[in-house]
Amino acid sequence: MNSKGIRIENLKKRYGSGDTAVYALKDVNMHVAPGEVVGLIGPSGSGKSTLLKCLGAVIDPTAGRMILGNEIIYDQGWKVRDLRALRRDKIGFVFQAPYLIPFLDVTDNVALLPMLAGVPNGEARAKALELLTALDVQHRAGAMPSQLSGGEQQRVAIARGLVNRPPVILADEPTAPLDSERAMAVIRILNDMARKFETAIIVVTHDEKIIPTFKRIYHIRDGVTHEEAGEGRKFE
Amino acid sequence: MKKLGLQSRTLAMLVVIIPLLALFIYVGLRSGPLAPVAVTVVSVESQPVTPALFGIGTVEARYTYKIGPTIAGRVKHLEVQVGELVKAGQVLGEMDPVDLDDRVRSQESAFRRAQAALRESIARQAYAKSQAHRYEKLFAVRSTSEETVTTKRQELQIAEAALSAAREDVARAQSDREGLVVQRNNLRLIAPADGVVAVRDADPGTTVVAGQAVVELIDPKSLWINVRFDQINASGLAEGLSAHITLRSRSDQVLQGKVFRVEPIADAVTEELLAKVVFDAVPQHLPPVGELAEVTVDLSPLPAAPVIPNAAIQREGGNVGVWQILDGDLRFSPVKLGASDLDGHVQIREGLKDGDKVVSYSEKALTLHSRIHVVDIIPGVSP
Amino acid sequence: MISLAGRDIMHAWGKFVFTGVGLGLLIGVTLSMAGIYRGMVDDAKVLLDNSRADLWVVQKDTLGPYAEPSSLYEDTWRSIRGMQGVATVANVTYLTMQVRKEARDVRAMIVGIAPGKATTPGWPPYLVAGRQITRSHYEAVADIATGFNLGDHLTIRRNHYKVVGLTRRMVSSGGDPMVFIPLKDAQEAQFLKDNDAIWQSRRRTEANPAFNRPGSPGLLDAVITSQSSNPYVNAALVRIETGYSAEDVAESIRRWKRLTVYTRSQMEQILVGKLIATSAKQIGMFLVILSIVSAAIVAFIIYTLTLGKIREIAVLKLIGTRNRTIAAMIVQQAIALGVIGFVVGKITATLFMAPIFPKYVLLEPLDSVRGFAIVILICVLSSAIAIRAALKVDPAEAIGG
Repeated sequence: MNSKGIRIENLKKRYGSGDTAVYALKDVNMHVAPGEVVGLIGPSGSGKSTLLKCLGAVIDPTAGRMILGNEIIYDQGWKVRDLRALRRDKIGFVFQAPYLIPFLDVTDNVALLPMLAGVPNGEARAKALELLTALDVQHRAGAMPSQLSGGEQQRVAIARGLVNRPPVILADEPTAPLDSERAMAVIRILNDMARKFETAIIVVTHDEKIIPTFKRIYHIRDGVTHEEAGEGRKFE
Repeated sequence: MKKLGLQSRTLAMLVVIIPLLALFIYVGLRSGPLAPVAVTVVSVESQPVTPALFGIGTVEARYTYKIGPTIAGRVKHLEVQVGELVKAGQVLGEMDPVDLDDRVRSQESAFRRAQAALRESIARQAYAKSQAHRYEKLFAVRSTSEETVTTKRQELQIAEAALSAAREDVARAQSDREGLVVQRNNLRLIAPADGVVAVRDADPGTTVVAGQAVVELIDPKSLWINVRFDQINASGLAEGLSAHITLRSRSDQVLQGKVFRVEPIADAVTEELLAKVVFDAVPQHLPPVGELAEVTVDLSPLPAAPVIPNAAIQREGGNVGVWQILDGDLRFSPVKLGASDLDGHVQIREGLKDGDKVVSYSEKALTLHSRIHVVDIIPGVSP
Repeated sequence: MISLAGRDIMHAWGKFVFTGVGLGLLIGVTLSMAGIYRGMVDDAKVLLDNSRADLWVVQKDTLGPYAEPSSLYEDTWRSIRGMQGVATVANVTYLTMQVRKEARDVRAMIVGIAPGKATTPGWPPYLVAGRQITRSHYEAVADIATGFNLGDHLTIRRNHYKVVGLTRRMVSSGGDPMVFIPLKDAQEAQFLKDNDAIWQSRRRTEANPAFNRPGSPGLLDAVITSQSSNPYVNAALVRIETGYSAEDVAESIRRWKRLTVYTRSQMEQILVGKLIATSAKQIGMFLVILSIVSAAIVAFIIYTLTLGKIREIAVLKLIGTRNRTIAAMIVQQAIALGVIGFVVGKITATLFMAPIFPKYVLLEPLDSVRGFAIVILICVLSSAIAIRAALKVDPAEAIGG
């Protein structure tokens, strides 16, 4: 199991330099196994977002190591050349707001990534439909994002995050705009998907409703992570 | 339902885009230089044409009498006004005679004096004759001398010579007097023929030079039109042809006439032929001399031949011809032109036959590569 | 591969098409401007084409008869006719004036055409209705742009003319429609202004004691007659025989007749190079200004469209879309906008602007092609700003906080 999922060791992120240097991340250590859903909890300014951006390869960490699957992607510097391809193929994103592309229908929103990667349209759409079916929104496959409810949009967003079968999914407050019932549904889906596609999922949240569902939780305070056991409550 | 939403949007877009594209293609191909040229087509038909010549001229009087004194003098009185009809021999006016009347009277007296002298000569001659006769008888009976008889004979001869001198004197005095009377009469301005006073150039009191006209008379029956025909369009002009005359002041009225004479001398400067056209019947209201008239002279009708409108005649690379339509294609056919009439019909001598289709009107100049589009009427022309 | 640009356009096509139509109207004006310039050049060319002459013989050292006044004696043509290589010579007069028909008057160029037949130089080469002039006086063939109809009676100076034929696109270099009348009438029209002027001129002559002498009756009439005739024409149109070079014939007329002669190409140069040069520059200036304005507007529209999608672009970048794909999306949209604009512009220019514009607007297909290329080029260039903005978007912005 150690060789799969995502592992983060001693990750640091410094903004500025010299006297004005501020460490947003001082010492982050995390490990999420495939099929596992962990929570990342912390107050505002604790470095949650910075960590997420480092994990999402949109900002550069200052030091440490990140291992994705068998591959060391960061070790005092990026070890992959194409961060875009890394994001596209290895990392799935689910945001607080779904951020679906408004001019594409549901299927194409999900199928977009494989299409851009050069997968034939038909094949990409079939893949998307499969995921939409798994997420139980296949009946809205032809609708435009604006016609969907918030929960449906979030499910489509999850489908998009999963479409390339990435080893890790970063979910940034995925349940924030939802009521508890729908929030629970989303968490259940994430768990189902994690199991089904052997994906490591990190859910950044401060939603009290869903925190009890995690088996493991990383707390982050002042740029330092602390691991603790969660309640692992069933959400049925 | 969501599928439908997408489809209806696609449909709506097609509804806008397709007409737009169709319009664009239409605009690209149907207007501007790529558009086919609209043409109208006529069939060549045999029909007779009546060629005619057209010229303009001015009304002139064939006989104009300019009446004036033969010697310089002053106008004494002038009775006629412009427009009055006068008869031949009518006195129109008179020049001031100055001393002519006195001279006539003096000649009168000289004549009478000569007559008196004649009477005296006659008396003397009669007496001399009787004396001579008596002495002849006396001499025959020898009662007088031969010398005396000879004297009496001589006296008779002298008396006879004096008589004939007196006679000649009377004749001279008479001629002198008559000459003066003729001169006196010549001061009267007398109409030489029936006519209308056209011009009155001088009023009483005006001094005129010898030969200057005081009054001009025209003969209304002799009005004719001096017509000018452009040389290039005047073939066939001859005497006796019938003509239609339209006076400028009576443009709705066509008067009949005929060509009276074609002038032997043409106008070299204006490149025109001159001809005189007379009215068959001079109109009731006389046209004023100098009025402009349009004259159409009919030439004899020509037998039927293929005819095209003159608008169809084109020039292409040095050849005169027409654009002919053969199986929908455009072809330039050179033709030889024959006679034409004033309505624009031109007979074809060579190059076309009846039933051929030729382009009469076109929207723009045609070339061999023009795409054409046959219409009944060229766009923009009001029917 | 999916076309993001296409899908975006499809999504908001109404807005997009409206923007395109707006741009199209601007492009339409620009195309019309080019068309007006082409129309002016074409006016000059049809003027030369319609006279169907190879050479123009004009008064010595003038640029006549179109660009400068020129007058020749009306019998000059006879001596030119005798020169070698000359097939046809015809006198012609040109006079721009107001032609009256009842209460209305139209600015027109009166062309006096020499007597002859339809193929004589100077005659209208084709008609759209009616017939050619057959009478040597008082008939007219009018261009359809004058608004006259067959059978109308026109007043030109002192005479009335009946319209017997109609032409199309017979215009002066200034775009005034032509009215063809017989040469002799035209000479008179050029010289005899109106009845009052004739009266006044007659009275002046009468008042001159040198002409009105009691001792010589008839002198006054002779003087007046000679005063009221016009022995001049504006130019002689020469058609040369096949096999002779226009320049050679022109040269021999120049040399032996001491007149100025222009060939077709020289005439074109005078008309295009001198007569319409200023107008052409004005239009060129407008074209440049309009192109710059169009470019600015396209740039602004594309930039606004891109800014409206900045969040989507951030998401696209975060989930791994390549810059190339995003740039392509923007460029494609700019091009699509340009295409719609061009199509609408071409349609408006052809269907709306050209017919109602008072001058002739000639929309050449090659100009349209060139215009299309320029529009697309402008669109691509002006999307550069928008692409720059899009590429500067930080994918991190998609992640909240």
